[in-house]
Amino acid sequence: MTPQNTKEVCEIIGQALADGEKLEIVGGGTRAQIGAPREIPTLCLAGLSGILEYDPAELVLTARAGTPLAEIEAAVAERGQGLAFEPYGAAGSTIGGVLAAGVAGARRVSAGGARDHLLGFEAVSGRGEIFRAGAKVVKNVTGYDLPKLLCGSWGRLAALTEVTLKVLPRAPERVTLCWRGLADEPAFALMRAALRAPCDVAAAAHLPGEATMLRLDGVGPSIAARRDYLGAALAAYGPPEALDDAAPLWARVQGGAGLTTEAPLWRLSLPPRAALGAIAPLLAAGGAYLADWAGGLIWLALEGREALIREAADAAGGHATLMRAPAEIRARIPALHPQALGVEALSRRVRRGFDPMGIFETNRFLDEADAD
Amino acid sequence: MQTDFSPAQLADKDIAASEAIIRKCVHCGFCTATCPTYVLGGNELDSPRGRIYLIKDMLENERVPGPEVVKHVDRCLSCLACMTTCPSGVNYMHLVDHARAYIETHYRRPLAERVLRAVVASVLPYPKRFRAALRLAGLARPLAGLLQGIRPLRPAASMLQLAPARLPPQARLPASPAGARGRVVLMQGCAEPVLRPEIRAATMRLLERCGYQVSFAPGEACCGALTHHMGREAEALAAARRNVEAWSREIEAGLEAIIITASGCGTTIKDYGYMLRDDPLYAEKAARVSALAKDVSEVIEAAGLPARVEIPARIVAYHPPCSIQHGQKLTTGPQNLLRAAGFTVKLPADSHLCCGSAGTYNIFQPEIAGQLGARKAQTLEALRPDVVATGNIGCAVQIGQHSGLPVAHIVELLDWATGGPAPAGL
Amino acid sequence: MPLPDQRVLARRDEIIKALRQIVPGEGVIDAPHELRPYESDGLTAYRQPPMVVVLPETVEQVAAVLRYCKGQNIKVVPRGSGTSLSGGALPLADAVLLGMGRFKKILEIDYEDRLAVVQPGVTNLAITKAVEGEGFYYAPDPSSQIACSIGGNVAENSGGVHCLKYGLTTNNVLGVQLVTMEGEILRFGGKALEAPGLDLLGIIVGSEGLLGVVTEVTVRILPKPETAKALLIGFPSVESAGQCVADTIAAGIIPAGMEMMDKPAIHAAEAFVQVGYPLDVEALLIVELDGPEAECSHLIQEVEAIARANQAGMIRISRDEAERLAFWAGRKAAFPAVGRISPDYYCMDGTIPRAKLPVVLQRMNALSEQYGLGVANVFHAGDGNLHPLILYDANKPGELERAEEFGADILRLCVEVGGVLTGEHGVGVEKRDLMPAMFSEDDLRQQQRLKCAFDPELLLNPGKVFPSLHRCAELGRMHVHRGALPFPELPRF
Repeated sequence: MTPQNTKEVCEIIGQALADGEKLEIVGGGTRAQIGAPREIPTLCLAGLSGILEYDPAELVLTARAGTPLAEIEAAVAERGQGLAFEPYGAAGSTIGGVLAAGVAGARRVSAGGARDHLLGFEAVSGRGEIFRAGAKVVKNVTGYDLPKLLCGSWGRLAALTEVTLKVLPRAPERVTLCWRGLADEPAFALMRAALRAPCDVAAAAHLPGEATMLRLDGVGPSIAARRDYLGAALAAYGPPEALDDAAPLWARVQGGAGLTTEAPLWRLSLPPRAALGAIAPLLAAGGAYLADWAGGLIWLALEGREALIREAADAAGGHATLMRAPAEIRARIPALHPQALGVEALSRRVRRGFDPMGIFETNRFLDEADAD
Repeated sequence: MQTDFSPAQLADKDIAASEAIIRKCVHCGFCTATCPTYVLGGNELDSPRGRIYLIKDMLENERVPGPEVVKHVDRCLSCLACMTTCPSGVNYMHLVDHARAYIETHYRRPLAERVLRAVVASVLPYPKRFRAALRLAGLARPLAGLLQGIRPLRPAASMLQLAPARLPPQARLPASPAGARGRVVLMQGCAEPVLRPEIRAATMRLLERCGYQVSFAPGEACCGALTHHMGREAEALAAARRNVEAWSREIEAGLEAIIITASGCGTTIKDYGYMLRDDPLYAEKAARVSALAKDVSEVIEAAGLPARVEIPARIVAYHPPCSIQHGQKLTTGPQNLLRAAGFTVKLPADSHLCCGSAGTYNIFQPEIAGQLGARKAQTLEALRPDVVATGNIGCAVQIGQHSGLPVAHIVELLDWATGGPAPAGL
Repeated sequence: MPLPDQRVLARRDEIIKALRQIVPGEGVIDAPHELRPYESDGLTAYRQPPMVVVLPETVEQVAAVLRYCKGQNIKVVPRGSGTSLSGGALPLADAVLLGMGRFKKILEIDYEDRLAVVQPGVTNLAITKAVEGEGFYYAPDPSSQIACSIGGNVAENSGGVHCLKYGLTTNNVLGVQLVTMEGEILRFGGKALEAPGLDLLGIIVGSEGLLGVVTEVTVRILPKPETAKALLIGFPSVESAGQCVADTIAAGIIPAGMEMMDKPAIHAAEAFVQVGYPLDVEALLIVELDGPEAECSHLIQEVEAIARANQAGMIRISRDEAERLAFWAGRKAAFPAVGRISPDYYCMDGTIPRAKLPVVLQRMNALSEQYGLGVANVFHAGDGNLHPLILYDANKPGELERAEEFGADILRLCVEVGGVLTGEHGVGVEKRDLMPAMFSEDDLRQQQRLKCAFDPELLLNPGKVFPSLHRCAELGRMHVHRGALPFPELPRF
């Protein structure tokens, strides 16, 4: 089902309620492979497309939720602005989709994630009701901050129909400083030290055995000054190369793309200092990894050992998401990291507040609540 | 803030003055950040904002103050850090002074409290009696532990604990020669000359080096701060009048300044003009006295430090007394003088926070005073100084109670740096 | 506000006794005179002594108090430093006021992972002071930062001058420990950048004490920028100042702070701190740029050029740290400065699209004449957050009421031009009844269902934020759309 406007979305959801049917909300369908295999009718929002308002001086853009991410990025790039959380997705990826999946690129470590850039939205709840939350200004604390909740909610709360984003100026220049061949420990220490420096490092990533990268965004003189500062502060690691076109390297970091094995792909969010220690047993078990967010995000490719992976993440105070695996594994292993009991129960109650009949509970995440 | 006083109430000058102060308070709460009792206890009732509210309630409703209100007002140190922080210009000092006087006349304290307060008020302001009492305290010291166990008698225990082990001998001071800068009167005080007579000696040497002739005013006695902060207004005003008389005589004979070395007294003497504002016989004289009253650091700063002599390098941890930094608003002067004298000067963390001495506070509120004293000692010791410098006798005693570091008055250090003897412990 | 529950009040003595079992000593306050100072927070227009005040010291005590109150159907109002400007900590006559002022410890500072774990009673500025020795600071800086608590900041999602560049509290909090009304102690977030599952941390921040009691906060700390410089710019009109702001942002510059003051505010501030504000300009802009020296210098030149292109009359650039602080001194003292020229003032808080500032100020001047009350404006120009300061005298009958009506009109105006009711002070009691100006009934109900997931009996901080108190059962009811719904009358929430 591909509605073309909010009213049609309401009707579809209303019908699903009446029929006791389930619905999976889909944008561009580019992330369908996350979660258990399922055969659920989809509610595709890609038909709700188009930028409605864009005021660069107000730093605000409003678009229909099914607008392709590429279209939004092109529109803001034209005015020298960008989405600071650097979302990404395959062709067809929609803005609603990247928000619902909580996608953020390398710059999340300095600029914040999707949740820090969604200002307001309109959506249709699992009750079939249209509602709005947040606003179209950057400074707002009126009522509960529902935009935070919708980001990363994987379409389990409501069908987004319209979103208002905070956009920020794009830096005129960027330089990547690259250290080659650093061992893991020094690489992670370097990234942490770089973020402690007053140098506004935009991104920090590590491709093991290959390259440890820091990105500096800004204006020429500033970048030069910060390069010097970092050069001195990180002298112990040797002098870096300054890469003008580091795009291919960063492309490999994004989404763990640089891990080309067939093994299942995991995404671990960890406190940076504990990260290397946490994944040590996983690497010993044959895992391959790359690190983003100064070590706060680990992409891990590892066959089996699912319990070990989740334990390691837990012990370090983080969590592990299963991003890609054969259907048979995804049918058994929940994509999302299990939460503490009290929080799990609370999350369930929160979801029911939006979707009391559970029409969005597609068991994609293998945590479907029992009926009342 | 909104107030609810009747016109009849406002006909009383003191009530009207307090009402004007209360009206300035906008209840913003900034004062809670720097109030020692709020920092320790997290209870709005033991914060300036809370006390203003309690006092407002008490005065508006002409209450007989209940024990709760008295408890919280008693816990106020009168450190005046709140006045430094307050963005609205609330004169908390005058409000709490009025409240104490009101409590003293309207509230009947329990017997033990009344007795202890009477003892303190009749002994501490009088150096001869104070010396005698300290000798007795030496004998009674073993009882301190026993008294500590009886709640209402804890202040007595504190007094015994605060008494020094040995009384310094009283010194005869040589007459001061005429000086190029003129004559000053050095306030003698009550506690300082008994406990640390060397401070006065150092002050005289320093002032003479600056070119002042130092005199003493016959008829001068305790400044009245002690009884003023206990709410015993009649005694406090009597003390003020007596001193105003004594100094007015000296002013007539020609005087550059009235110099005070115990900053706790300084704040009160500078307030004599306000305290006696409604007394037609004294208002003008008191204002003149207040205008001439100066902390010793102000005078030395204005005159310029005399020539330095060679002394060993020393790290000084400077503890600004509340009466200096908040009461008299002298923030950089004392530190600058110490640096000019060649010392390395460091300030402890939270230097705005009271050490807990606060006049007789460490006698009547031993638990809170103890906590504050321990905190202060810790922040001073963290600097690893050679000596702690301060400008008030109360602070010196309190810090001495909680730390093994040598404590000197800033004039002792300045005196040493310009030719005098090294202070004790250095 | 909800009516007091007489059955609870009837059992007051028994309740106080039970609470004393949980929190001993002076931690339970019940004498009438002692309850009065707790009857209000920073918004003194609203006052209500609570039934009893409880000042716990441990998380276990907090959990036990909440569990007890839940069992006895007693309302609970949490309180931090009591500096809220929207009545967020206003008690109810039958409620327990739960003061978190004793939770003052800084538990952990981790410079490697750039975070600090603190108790909710720690003040905002105390966090910065604790880490500044190592060259770090905590970025959100509400003007009350000397006294406001981080727990309160979490409840209100507080902002401040620097939130333009560094975000609000919610963008700087990594985790909280929260006690629910059930007495459950839960953790949301932690030291990692993201938490698994729904972003419940994201709705707890800014929930104004309605969802639970925060007992621990993990905040992000940032390295202090190498330097900061400020420009003080005078404009002949509000329009030109506003255009300068828009042009600055359009040029791709996000300053660390960008504040505007109108003529009445400038005059009040200058009278108070005498820092040399120009008295003949219609609007003053203070722009702060921070970062590496080279960047600051470069950006200052750009901002200066933009200002000149917008008819700036006077432009001063800070030559050193002391001068930079002096530029800010007037702005930071603006509220109390206004307090010195008027017995009372009512500080409003609303956000508007920046472009609408001139028209909003015009309409405000008209309202000021209509109500006969003066108004001075301080404006977070960078993000459109407006603080009109309405001057009045509480001792003059009727003036407080007129000030409140004036304030409500201003907020309605903010929403009318495409803005919001509150940019950083929260809804609290003050703006509760204006929520329908911004949200539809369906919008408000959907928000309130969130509350039902945390506190279905509506015992935490009732009477705040949402105007109509719907019972959770009522909110759970489903409408039938087409065809029949199985068991439609059963509550689902």
